[in-house]
Amino acid sequence: MRALVIDDSRAMRRIVGAALEGLGYETRQAGHGREALDVLQEGWTPDLCTIDWNMPVMDGLQFVSAVRANPAWRRLTLMMVTSESEQGQIVRALAAGAHEYVIKPFTADALRDKLALLGMLPEEAVL
Amino acid sequence: MTAVQHPPLDTGERRRTGDARTLITSLIDPATVEAIAVDAWVALVGEEELLVPVPGDLPADTLSAWVDVVGPWTGSVVLTTGRQTAADLTRALLREAAPELLDHEDVADAFGEIANVVGGNVKAALPGPSTLGLPEVGPAPAVRHPEDVCRIDVLWRGQPLAVSVQGALPSLPTPHDNPHPNGASL
Amino acid sequence: MTLTTTSFDWVRQLVHRESAIVLAPGKEYLVEARLLPIARSMGLPDVGQLVDSVRTRPSPESTRKIVEALTTNETSWFRDGDPFTALTSTVLPALLAARGPAERLQIWSAACSSGQEPYTIAMLLEDAMPYASTRASITATDLSRAMVERTRAGRFSQLEVNRGLPAPMLVRHFTRAGSEWQVSPSLRRMVSASECNLAAPLPRMGPFDVVYLRNVLIYFDLPTKQAILRRVRALMRPDGWLFLGAAETTLGVNDSWERVVVGRSSAYRPLKGA
Repeated sequence: MRALVIDDSRAMRRIVGAALEGLGYETRQAGHGREALDVLQEGWTPDLCTIDWNMPVMDGLQFVSAVRANPAWRRLTLMMVTSESEQGQIVRALAAGAHEYVIKPFTADALRDKLALLGMLPEEAVL
Repeated sequence: MTAVQHPPLDTGERRRTGDARTLITSLIDPATVEAIAVDAWVALVGEEELLVPVPGDLPADTLSAWVDVVGPWTGSVVLTTGRQTAADLTRALLREAAPELLDHEDVADAFGEIANVVGGNVKAALPGPSTLGLPEVGPAPAVRHPEDVCRIDVLWRGQPLAVSVQGALPSLPTPHDNPHPNGASL
Repeated sequence: MTLTTTSFDWVRQLVHRESAIVLAPGKEYLVEARLLPIARSMGLPDVGQLVDSVRTRPSPESTRKIVEALTTNETSWFRDGDPFTALTSTVLPALLAARGPAERLQIWSAACSSGQEPYTIAMLLEDAMPYASTRASITATDLSRAMVERTRAGRFSQLEVNRGLPAPMLVRHFTRAGSEWQVSPSLRRMVSASECNLAAPLPRMGPFDVVYLRNVLIYFDLPTKQAILRRVRALMRPDGWLFLGAAETTLGVNDSWERVVVGRSSAYRPLKGA
């Protein structure tokens, strides 16, 4: 399974990427929403995107809306991973089409638990 | 018209209730800021990375990382520590991905992300909705109003670190019937 | 540092025996930090004396406290999801069909820890049936007074709500309270928490339609396991359902139960006449 890790912080991309690779994901990274859309448009289709909210150029919510507007990407699972943790913000992200929401700070176990809820743990993947 | 409205006595309390702006000290307490910082450290820096609530003297050469919060309360969430400690934090976050020689951008990225995580959670504990700025790194932004600050001082691996939630707006006007203003410190 | 090598090794062996988790050498600092609150709560000055005390007078309670302090970070919501899926897919429909409309369902979370399990059940009930808080009650018990108080308060840290709680349920059933999240009043009304030592005679409770007794039996020896299962059975309705931890079973411990497969999970039901 493939995951695209979208975050403007390199340190956070490393942390999220390492956690996902530990679960068996193949990962790529993008520093903001626009860069992530470029990765998708070039044809690298992930199963999962983890998405920071506050980023330069294109923020996470705009990215979620852009993905949801394109039927070709409707099978993508979108998981916000952000320090934005006001209740209203979580509701907004879910309404825009995010499937899950992980609040920073999080542990690797927390990512695993959320992916298990979504049926997105690679070792459980039935092909 | 306003000139004749002399408040009978300035107790500070009155100033708080009379002014439209709410001070941070009535919105969040140091224990909450500490709980937020401790969680951030455990999750980002490492499970055994404890923040010890003991104040220490910050060295002369410090670095700050902060995010701005704009909303019903407007200000910054500022982390300040010694330059070397900021570099150690960066290595702790990057682990094996850390380059042999850290440049400023590495430190700004990692230290800034910690400020983002702490700041996002501080923001969520305040009345909202508010917006969160992107992290900035450099010399600490000045304290505009000493009463609009909630600060904790802790040790990480024995090194001092401060988390300051501080208002961005200038000092509240000193009431004109108070002969000895004490808001203009520093 | 007050922890001697002997004390540290004893803790390592204990944790390994009880949880199969290996504490690497060099984790003395972690042991100190995590166990100091337990030592203080027992009126002991340091972790070395705590270890000495538990070595000379072992008890399941202190053993469990030590093991828990060193092994559990946060309990998950929907921990090992299958027993909860079983509740909504099979158990609840069966019970609602069997019981009269005025009968109240009683569910027992028998080692509720900080409350994730009873509130997980409460959320599922509220989402599955209207007026859940008038039709079902959840009894949450734990050995530890601190855990019972935490369950009662129903407040969870950011790290805790991140552990396996679906975001839609978080925003539906919780509100922000400072740096924490508070469960809704309707869920809290459904859950009542109290202290209970499973290894001793149980208070008058129940009768229960469903019992969650997960990851508890592993801490006890065989005679105690048998006694616990006997006491639990006495508090259950004849057509009740018992859920144990994934690594636990009644087989070979107490033969008055029938094991049934429910989805991807197993449940145990009282054998008639046994």
